Parts: sequence; structure tokens; C-alpha cells
Amino acid sequence: MSNWVIAMMLGASVFLGALGLFAFLWAVKSGQFDDEEKFLNAAKFDGEDELNDAYRQEQKKKALKKEYRPE
Amino acid sequence: MSNKVACSHCHLEFDEAVMIKDNNHYFCCNGCQGVFKLLSDEGFDGFYARTQNVKLSPPLEKFEDSSTFDSESFRDAFVKVNSDGFNEIALIIEGIHCSACVWLNEKALHKMDGVIEANINFTNNKATVVWADGVVKLSEIIEMIRSIGYDAFAYDSSIQEVYANKERKSYYLKMAVAIFASMNIMWIAIAQYAGYFTGITQDIKTILNIAEWILATPVLFFSGWVFFRGAYYGLKNRVVNMDLMVATGALLTYIYSIYITVTEYGEAYFDSVSMIITFVLIGKFLEVLSKKNAADTLDIIGKHIPSEIKILLDDTITTCKLENVKVGNIVVVSSGERVLLDGEIVKGQGSFDESNLTGESEPIYKKAGDSVISGTTSIDADIYFRATKDFKHSTLSNLVTLLESAINKKPKIQQMANRLSEHFSSVILGFSFLTFMVWVMLGNGFETSFMIGISVIVIACPCALALATPVATLVGLNLGARRGILFKEAAQIETMAKVDTLVLDKTGTLTVGKPEVIKESSFEEFDKGLLYSLVKLSKHPVASGICRYIESQDETIKEILFDKFSQIPACGIKAQYGGREILGGNLKLLELHGIKVDFISDNTLFYYAVDKKVISIYELSDKIKESAKELILEMQKRDINVVMLTGDNEKSARSVASKVGITELYYEQTPEDKSNFIESLHAQNRSVVMVGDGVNDILALSRADIGIVMGSGSDIAVEIGDVVLLNNSLTSLKDAFKISKITFGLIKQNLFISLVYNAVTIPLAMAGYVIPLVAAISMSLSSLLVVGNSMRIKYKFKQK
Repeated sequence: MSNWVIAMMLGASVFLGALGLFAFLWAVKSGQFDDEEKFLNAAKFDGEDELNDAYRQEQKKKALKKEYRPE
Repeated sequence: MSNKVACSHCHLEFDEAVMIKDNNHYFCCNGCQGVFKLLSDEGFDGFYARTQNVKLSPPLEKFEDSSTFDSESFRDAFVKVNSDGFNEIALIIEGIHCSACVWLNEKALHKMDGVIEANINFTNNKATVVWADGVVKLSEIIEMIRSIGYDAFAYDSSIQEVYANKERKSYYLKMAVAIFASMNIMWIAIAQYAGYFTGITQDIKTILNIAEWILATPVLFFSGWVFFRGAYYGLKNRVVNMDLMVATGALLTYIYSIYITVTEYGEAYFDSVSMIITFVLIGKFLEVLSKKNAADTLDIIGKHIPSEIKILLDDTITTCKLENVKVGNIVVVSSGERVLLDGEIVKGQGSFDESNLTGESEPIYKKAGDSVISGTTSIDADIYFRATKDFKHSTLSNLVTLLESAINKKPKIQQMANRLSEHFSSVILGFSFLTFMVWVMLGNGFETSFMIGISVIVIACPCALALATPVATLVGLNLGARRGILFKEAAQIETMAKVDTLVLDKTGTLTVGKPEVIKESSFEEFDKGLLYSLVKLSKHPVASGICRYIESQDETIKEILFDKFSQIPACGIKAQYGGREILGGNLKLLELHGIKVDFISDNTLFYYAVDKKVISIYELSDKIKESAKELILEMQKRDINVVMLTGDNEKSARSVASKVGITELYYEQTPEDKSNFIESLHAQNRSVVMVGDGVNDILALSRADIGIVMGSGSDIAVEIGDVVLLNNSLTSLKDAFKISKITFGLIKQNLFISLVYNAVTIPLAMAGYVIPLVAAISMSLSSLLVVGNSMRIKYKFKQK
């Protein structure tokens, strides 16, 4: 086995692992694990409706923001 | 047996006959029916799929007016404007039982126009709501929460709490990085160790070294940053601390390893770098996690003080900000409300619950001319009183200020391990430098000398020392939790083991805290159902005591509806049933109705009379808890001084003290007296455990080195206590002492083990017999030894 194969395998696996780590860090930072109960229940119950709700909520926020700050 | 069905909303089970039937659903009350209808109409049925069979409490039907939420004073106190220009408020939602409740509240709020964000935390029931002011009013939001069966009140989300959460989150991030990198480095290190014994080409070794280098860098400089910062602040204050030791050890090893990697000579030790940082970081995180949040405590107290008060101005009742009430204003208090200012009654009469301040469970009757104290609650009195002090000088406000300062001033016995490590660190760093100098002077190369110098630090790596305390306390905490003893902070176990004085409250701590029937003298046969229904009408503790007594004798007893009934303040209850006049209450009630009775007893008496004839007399007294005597004996065996403090009168204090064997007692103590007493003990250099349960104990609890609270105690007391006894038993209190003593003994043993280990290995390292690889392996061994030793706490506890 040549050296570069070892180097490449090490590099690739650490890179993939790091991707997972960054996803986790982002999730922690944006508060997705703040309430463990809610997070577990979202995985259990949330479906299409909840997704639509979340989207509508975003839209509402955007619309209100425009109204609120006319500039 | 009759048929029991569950309410479709709250799932509480009742007799089918008393339920409201609606289509195929049963409801226990109108409130539940209303909420159920609303949820189905709005399309929130998903709520019931999520609750499954969790029992909820039926919705309250009476609320205070929600318009106060829109008032100017309320806005000033609680509403913030966020960066987008929207309004934001922190609320505590009451009535949340399960995650479905959270789901429902969020969904209902999201559906409202103008609500931009509603985020509820299940764990602490705290919610953040963001809304646009022009579109929706806060009172409408509160109304919505109430309409679906919950209640909300505002709290001041202090900066302190935000800061604590931020710190915890930053630790999560640091730990995630450290653990990820360490795990990967360990895999690579296995290849290297294997290569060390079976042979490995220099090329592969360098590749592995570089991979480790890349992984170890974020661990040292991102995760390990806390140690560099700690070391810097330590040096600034001229203290050599554990952080400095960890930081220099890791940094030197890191630099040395880079040098090895680049020059392709010898072994690199990136694995030691990341392992040291990761382990010590986890230990540090456990400390941060267990630190009690003083901010939370003060929030809970604040919740009990409404910001507005009703006053009489020009013959009309208006609401006014609490701080703006002046001496001389007439304040209005209705039954069930709290008195928020000190004053003198000008109109009205009734009973007041002063247990908050005195611990006395008996309500006190007051009439015009008597003084009322802030912090007490009106049980059945509607009164007008003239304020004699403004809020800043009131008893209640004093209590809160004293408490705030007490929380911040809480004494802490300095932790032994920290003190030890301080000296330890400077000694080791000195040794390491000395070793390096001596080896250089003896004519060895820089490289060899440097490597040996580093091996001294690595082998003395504070792992075992740093683990000695936390591992043992964790085992102790776990053992306590299984027996219903909740230590809120790890360090408290250590503090508790050093205590020499135990201060006990009487009511609720040594005694059950509720009057129980000890003797019943009936003069003729009578219908117990009538008496049961009569005492059920009152919330007076004596009535509840009789209620419990009858229930314990006859579980199937049923309530009867009276034709008419009325409560006579501070006397008892009067009712009409089938043309008969029924009376239940104290001697005063009988005298009031011209009934004469001859009965003498030391205990509290309850008379039951039908048609002016006394039928039965009940004697009630506060029972002493089962293992009280045992506890006192055990304390004496341990050479711990036992003192009893009570707000009660001399007679009942002495009788309880003599029954359990306490010789030192103080009676008629106000909350301030109790706390001053603890201070005076501190002045004598004694460390004190205070055990209590009520609001009247909280000052003393927060002043004491360790405050132990009965789980059944008031919210505030449970929040303030350092240790909570969930099952309220005094056996747990005894166990708590035992656990802390054993744990502390093992901590000392652990420290001894790690010191002996260092005493043996450090000279070897200095003499150059230990290469860093061996150092790293033996370091893990010493840590394992310490962990294994800590596990013995459980066996020791069972043996004794």
C-alpha cells in the first residue's frame, strides 16, 4: 500500500467526520437542542402540517417586518 | 362500585353520574368541556393524540383581569423591544404537564395575527413571545393562553440567566470538538503504538503524526482556550492554578510534538495533548452544570409579588403601581389575596395566614385597629387597611433584599483539592524546569533534556488529582438521588461532611406540620357523612385534619349537599340540612350560639354540634415524625450539636424538644432572628446545616453553609435549599450525613493515592527513566485507580 492511499483515507474520513461535527455545532448554536423534550417529540410527531406551519410563520414574520419598518 | 369514566380533556376519572355528557365525550367540568370544544373547533385535535393518558389539571375558571397586562407600569417592567422593533416578553406558563401542552400553546399562539414568535421550554415552563404591537395586544395573547386552559405570568428574564445559558452552550461546543478530535486521534494512536512494537516506516509515521497534529490543534486552541484564559487570570492575580499546569503541560507537549514531526525523529505525543484537555474540560463542565442558578431563584420569588395593588382613592378602587403607594393610602385586600404592604386595618375583619413569616400553621384573626404584615395571606378577610410603610420599607421587601444579599454572601468552605493543586502545580512546574536545567548542565543535548523535562509534567498530569474529587462526588450524588436526597451542587457533599452544628425547624421538619386527630370523643351515634361534608367546606388546617381522619376510617364516604352554609371568620362553619342546624368549629363558635361545654385539653379542639347539642369532640395535635429521636441520637454520636429554632410558642416548642431529646432550643423566632442566629454561629467559626421547609426559614436556609429543605416545603424554600429531601423523612437526613461523610473520606483517599503515585513516578521521570510514552500510559492507570476507588462508596454505605 502506498503512502498516499493512507493519507487520502485518513484525510477523507476526518473530513467526513468534521462535516458531521460542524452540522452538530451549528445545531447546538442555533438552539435546536435547547429543549430536549421538544426536540425528541418533534422527531416523533411532526409531519407535513408542522412544516407548513413553520413556513407560514416565517412568511408572517417577513410581512410584519415590512409593515413595521417602512424604510 | 359505580362506573368511573375519564374526562375527555383532563383524563381525570370520576363517577359517570356526575360527568357532563356531550356526544360521546365526558367532561368533569364546564372548563374542560369549553377547552375541548375550542380545541376541536380550531383544529388542534392533535393535542389529544400527543397527551395520550397524561392527566391534566382542569382549567381554572376565574382569572384576574387581563387588562393589567396592557398597562403602562406593566410594560415598563417586563416588555422589551427587540432588535427588529417588535415587542418581546418572557412568560412563565402555568399548567404545563407534558410536551403536548407545549405544542398546543405554541400552535395556538402562532395562529394569532401579529404573534411572530412563541417559544416555550418544556423543562422550565418559560416562554418567550414576540409580537407586533399594532396588530395584537398582550392581553389578547394572555387571554388566548387562558382560553385553552393555561395561565401565564411575566417574569424578568435577567441578564444573569442569559449569561449562564450562554456559558453552558459554549462548553457544549468545546466538548463536542474535543471529544470528536480525541476519538479520532486515539484510532490513529493505536496504529502508532502498534507500529512502535512491530516496526513502521518513517513515512507512514509522519503521515499519522500530521493527521494527529491537524486534529489536536482545535482541541488545544479552541476547546482548551478556557485553560489559557484561566491561567492568564491566575497569573494576573499571582496565583499558580491548575489551569496553568494543564495549559503549560499541553502546550509544551504540543510544541515538542510538532518539532518531532518536522524533524522526523522520536515519538510525537499529540494524543496526550488532546486527552488531557478533553478529560479536564469534562470535569470543568460538570462543575458549571451543577452550579446553582441564583437568577432562577429570584425569579420565583418575584413571581409571588404582583407589581400592582388596589387602593381606595376618592371612594373608588383603582389599581396603582406597588412602588407608588404612599404611607397613609388605603389599600384594599380581598379574601385569598396577599398583603403586600404593612398597615393597620380600618375596615373589615377575618383570618390571616401568617405561616410565611412565623411558621405557625394556625390562622390568626384580625379586626379593625389590628396591624397587618406584608407577606401574609388573607384567608377569608375582605379588608381596607391604611399603609403605615411604603413598599421599600415593608417587611416583605426587607425579606427579599435580605435574601438577595444572603444568596450572594453564602459562605463556602474552600475546596481542599483546589488548594492542594495550587501548590502542586507550582512545585511540578518548578521540578520540570529544574530537571531540564540539570540535564542540560550535565552535558546532555537540548533535545533529550527537553524531552525529560516534559515527561515530568506529563507524568504529573493532574488527571488523577483533577478526577479525585469529581468522580467520588458523582458517585455520592447518585447514591443520594436514589434515596430521595437531592444535592444541588457537587461541592455541597464536601461542605456537609465538615459540618458541626445541625439547626432544625420544628413545624414541617421535626413534625408533620399538619394537625392530625389524636383523639375522638363521641357522645352519641351520628352521620359521619354530614361532618365530612361540613369540614370539606373549609380550607382551615384543622378542618383538613379532620377530613383526612374521616377519610382514613371510611374510604367510601360521600359528600352531602347542604341547604345553606356560611363560614364564620375565626370560629368555624355553620350549615343547614333537613331543618337541622349544624355547627363545626372552636369554642368561640359554641359560645356564640349559646352552647356550654366542659372539656379541657392541651391540644387544639374541634367541636361538632347538631341543633345546639355537642355530639363529638376531636383533639388535634401536630405529630412528631417517626425517626426524629433516632436522628438526634445519631447526631450526638457524630458529635454534631443539635439546635431547634421555631416561630412557635414556648409550650409547644418545649414539648416537641423533650420528646425527641433536644436540649438547646429557641422559640418565637422571626425569620430575621433565625438568620441572625446562624450568623452568630458563623461568628463562632462553626459550620452549620439548617433544615427547614417554610418561607419563614428561607433567610436562615440561605445563610447556612448547607440549607436542607423538605420536598413538601414551599416553592421558594425548595428553590433556595442546597439539598432537598424528596420524601420528607428524617431518615433521609441521616443518610445525607452518612453519604457526605463516606464520600468525603474517599475523596481524601483518592487525593492520597494520586499524591503517592506522583511521589513515586516524578523522581523516576526526573532521573530520565520514564519516556513520555510510558508516562502517558501510567497516567491513565492512576486515573483508573481513582475511579475504581470511588466506586467503593456504594459498598461502604451498605456496610455501615
